[in-house]
Amino acid sequence: MRPRITAAIAVLFAVLALATPALSLTVNEVAREVRCPTCNTPLDVSNSPAADRMKIFIADRIAKGDDKQEIIDALVVEFGRGVLATPPKSGFDLLAWIVPIVLVVGGLAAIPFVTRAWARRRQDTAPAPEIAPDDAARLDEELRRRDA
Amino acid sequence: MPPSADPEEVGGDRRRLIGLIAGAVVAALIVVLLVVGLLNRGTSTTIDDALETGSRPPAPALTLPVLVSGPGLPPVGRDASLSDLKGKVVVLNLWASWCEPCKEESPVLEKLWRANRSRGVVVLGVDIQDLSSDARAFIREYGLTYPSLRDGTDEAKSALEATGVPETYIIDRAGRIALHVAGPVSSAAQLQAPLDQVLAGK
Repeated sequence: MRPRITAAIAVLFAVLALATPALSLTVNEVAREVRCPTCNTPLDVSNSPAADRMKIFIADRIAKGDDKQEIIDALVVEFGRGVLATPPKSGFDLLAWIVPIVLVVGGLAAIPFVTRAWARRRQDTAPAPEIAPDDAARLDEELRRRDA
Repeated sequence: MPPSADPEEVGGDRRRLIGLIAGAVVAALIVVLLVVGLLNRGTSTTIDDALETGSRPPAPALTLPVLVSGPGLPPVGRDASLSDLKGKVVVLNLWASWCEPCKEESPVLEKLWRANRSRGVVVLGVDIQDLSSDARAFIREYGLTYPSLRDGTDEAKSALEATGVPETYIIDRAGRIALHVAGPVSSAAQLQAPLDQVLAGK
C-alpha cells in the first residue's frame, strides 16, 4: 500500500512541476522584456493604445501555449530587434553588457592605486613638524639619560 | 635646490596635466554624444521647412513589405520601394489600427483613391507601430482597397519626420514631396485641390 501512495505522490509532484511553468507565465513577465513602440518605455508600464494591443497579442500567445521566448521572437518579427527592452546577450550587442561591467570592475580595481597616490601626495606636501631649540635640547638630554 | 628642479614635483605636474587632458577628452566625448543624440531624436523639420519656402524636398527612399498590393507594386509579403511608383502621384498616409482618427480618415482616403486611381494617382497606406494581424483586420473592417505597406521599425516614420499617426504626404511624379498634412484628413475635398495641382504639373 505504502509504495503505491509514495508513487502517487511522486506522480502528483511531477505533474505539478510540469504544469507550473505554463501556469506562471504572465503577460507582464513577457511585457517587461519588450518596449512599447510609441512610448519607448517598457511594455509592462506602458498604457498607450499600441501597448494595449501588444499586451492582448501576448495574452493570446500565452493562451495558445507559446513560451516566453517564442512570444518575444514573434514580436521581434513584427517590430524588429529594436522592440527588445534589453540588448540580446550575443554578437556585437554583447558589448552593451560587457563594457559597463569592465568599467565598474576597472574602477574598483583602480581605487587602491588612486588612494595610495593621493595619500603619498598629502605626505609629501605636509610640512615637517619643527622642534623648538629648547625642546630639541630637552629631547637630546632625555635620550642621553635613557641610554646611560 | 630650486623647487623646479625637484624631479618628483616635475612628475606630479606631468601627471596632473595628463589627468586634465583625459578629463577634457571625456567631457568632449560626452558633448559629442549629446549632440549626436539630439540630432537623431527625429524632431527635425527639414521637410516642413522646405515646403514652407515653396520648394519640394525629395521623398525618402523607402523599402517596406507589402501588406495590401496595388498597381505598380509587388505581391503581398514582398518588399516594395517608393521608387516603384515613380511617374505616379502618391498620396502616402501613415496609419495604425489603434489610431482613433485613422478610423474616420480611412473612408476619406478610400473615396479619394476610387475617384483618382484612373488619373495616375496611388493612395498608399503605410502601417506603423502596429501588429500586422491588427492591420489586416482594420483593412478588412473598413473595406480598404488602396495598397498598404508595413513599417514595423519606424523607418518610414523617421524618414518622413512624422510625429505620430495619421500623417499624409502628396508625392509628385518626380518623387518629391509637395504637401504634408499632420493629423487626419477630414474630407476628400481637402486633398483634391492640391492633388489636382500636382497632377497638372504645378
